[in-house]
Amino acid sequence: MIALSDFLILGAIMFCLGVAGIYINRKNLIILMMSLELMLLAVNINFVAFSHYLGDVAGQIFVFFILTVAAAEAAIGLAILVVLFRNRQTINVGELDSLKG
Amino acid sequence: MSLMLNDFLPAAPEIFLLSMACLILIVDVYVPERYRLVTYQLSQATLVVTAILVMFLYPTESVLTFSDSFVLDRMGSVLKVFVLLMTYFAFFYSKEYLRARNLFKGEFYLLGLFAVLGMMVLISGHSLLTLYLGLELLSLALYALVALHRDSTAATEAAMKYFILAALASGILLYGISLLYGATATLDISELHSAIGSEGEGRNIVLMLGLVFVVVGIAFKLGAVPFHMWVPDLYQGAPTPVTLFIGTAPKLAGFAMLMRFLVDGMGGLRGDWGDMLVLLAILSLAVGNVVAIAQTNLKRMLGYSTIAHMGYMFLGLIAGTAAGYAASMFYIIVYALMAMGSFGMIILLSRAGFESDRLDDFRGLNERSPWYAFLMLILMLSMAGLPPFLGFWAKWSVLRELVAVDMVWLAVVSVVFSLIGLFYYIRIVRLMYFEKPTDHSAVAAPGDMRVMISTNALAILALGLYPGALMAVCISAFAI
Amino acid sequence: MVEQLVFYALSGILVFAGSMVVTVRNPIHAALFLVLSFFTTAGIWLLLDAEFLAMTLVLVYVGAVMVLFLFVIMMLDVNLVVLREGFSRYLPVGILIAVLLGLELSMVVGASQFGLDIVPAPAHHGAGYSNIEELGSVLYTVYVYPFEIASVLLLVAIVAAIALSLGEHRKNRKGQRPEEQVAVNRKDRVRLVQMAAERPDSDTP
Repeated sequence: MIALSDFLILGAIMFCLGVAGIYINRKNLIILMMSLELMLLAVNINFVAFSHYLGDVAGQIFVFFILTVAAAEAAIGLAILVVLFRNRQTINVGELDSLKG
Repeated sequence: MSLMLNDFLPAAPEIFLLSMACLILIVDVYVPERYRLVTYQLSQATLVVTAILVMFLYPTESVLTFSDSFVLDRMGSVLKVFVLLMTYFAFFYSKEYLRARNLFKGEFYLLGLFAVLGMMVLISGHSLLTLYLGLELLSLALYALVALHRDSTAATEAAMKYFILAALASGILLYGISLLYGATATLDISELHSAIGSEGEGRNIVLMLGLVFVVVGIAFKLGAVPFHMWVPDLYQGAPTPVTLFIGTAPKLAGFAMLMRFLVDGMGGLRGDWGDMLVLLAILSLAVGNVVAIAQTNLKRMLGYSTIAHMGYMFLGLIAGTAAGYAASMFYIIVYALMAMGSFGMIILLSRAGFESDRLDDFRGLNERSPWYAFLMLILMLSMAGLPPFLGFWAKWSVLRELVAVDMVWLAVVSVVFSLIGLFYYIRIVRLMYFEKPTDHSAVAAPGDMRVMISTNALAILALGLYPGALMAVCISAFAI
Repeated sequence: MVEQLVFYALSGILVFAGSMVVTVRNPIHAALFLVLSFFTTAGIWLLLDAEFLAMTLVLVYVGAVMVLFLFVIMMLDVNLVVLREGFSRYLPVGILIAVLLGLELSMVVGASQFGLDIVPAPAHHGAGYSNIEELGSVLYTVYVYPFEIASVLLLVAIVAAIALSLGEHRKNRKGQRPEEQVAVNRKDRVRLVQMAAERPDSDTP
């Protein structure tokens, strides 16, 4: 039998990979956005695992909505990225420095 | 389970707003470019009717509907009316600005309306799921609004930074929600409250970790220190009407989010989140007020000032009493009114090709236009919290509630930082009245805009002289 | 026992794929590793009896979101060398953050709180169980309000994406006008020219 804690630890590891990915790839916007997807995946693993072990379907419903929101968010994020690239010819966060103070 | 017509009634304003937004979406496609004003007028009419519906449905007790995922209560109704009012002003102020810069497009008003819908869903959220969806609906519309000026490098950069950090905040908030769900096996706010117990009987380590993640996520969204890095960049980079919109109405929704998550949902853990808010409040007050002094861009300075004002807003929640929550709500409404006027002033003094967002642009305003200098004087002194303006009563009410629960030391700390904050507000007044103007052009703004901004600023003066009515509304919102 | 082996194998692949996503040099490789993570997660969700979500994850994420990512990466002319600047500088601290945060989270959600002795594993559903039916029966009744908000959310995403990427004022926009293509006449496109016959000049070879 697999314990609930095993699934949750897997979720925690994926969440940390996402956070570390944001920190490491602070200059690369595309991989940064992929790290955000990893974080959401970790949250989803948590919800599905809780839903199964608690015998409550609400957790799976929540995941359903997170998937919807994440797809919409990715679409808008990538649209902003394309607009930004057209203006700056870079997706390097380090060069996003016209705002300072 | 079946839904009856009565179940839809509490959400009538939201349903009306959504229907109108869809209608405007279609109308906007078919009207020719020169009649774009129709979109604007329809949006404004929608906001007015929605506000009337909200007031008409002002409840005597909390009503739950849609399987308890939607709540109609007094706090929500008051906040919704002010959200709609702020949005009305924001749309009004932005009209000329957008026209002069060839940005007068239907998308601005549509995304604005959808953002308002998101705020209303968030304000009325009674389950972790609807709170999350309302927040995301609001955020998605705001990301797009910031980037709407596609040819502006500053605006698209600001949008990207805002997007990344807000998405990170959503991820953190969601991880917290997943832990809360795991610890209590429910998504419903009332059930969450009873699972924790009103004195925190069900407190355990998983719940605490979930609470930490939720507080960090909300602090990110509200821009409290140390999660504030996106605020100044966003305020400076976004087009002024968008900054004005983001700086006002969503702050009210943010307050509702705090109330729903922390007070309604996790009231039993008040001691724990109270300590976290104390830390966030002190840091926000310190960083917001001190760093604002070094700014040369007024929009950026107001960004730091927002951070500081968020700190004051936390103080009433820290007090943890019904009167404290009412004081916080009063504070955030007053802040939104003042921010509306200040950003409106930047828009009023700007023209195509000239943003008027540097402090130097206000140099000698008194010689160019004594009336606008006077209005700006009211706004800045009110922000600084000097009597007899409205801002003073806002600060006074949260501090009074802090003292009432014997947290005098925190009240003293926040007064000290207010005094530091006084410096940069007074500096603008000095620039306006005691310096020579560099730009001698007369202020060119249409008549209706002049009337609106005068009303806005004079309302702050008038409400400052008679603060009782607005305060009474806030207190009655927490009476049931 | 088999279930446990499958779980640990899939978890190993998932953690490997996840760490590759955040460390590889090429965004396309990162995207492909992310696809692998999603497929593996779908497998793990099957172990948890969430068949519908497993399918949705593959369809929505691999089928739509990741294709969008790949599309954008290939559309933008990305300079890989610049993007790698600072990577090795941030890597040690990044690993440290990940390990510390992972240890802390694992301690809280570990066996002491959610072990088998505290939360026993529920029995798997029988052959007659339909996950889609169970989700569908509540999705359109109890969760109809969130469902409607989600639909508005998608509408906002459509409006936003169109407003940001499609513009009427862009001059070099390429498009077709079918009505003009259909209505075209021979004389619009073909021009007959009368030319004098060329005679090869004797001076040039």
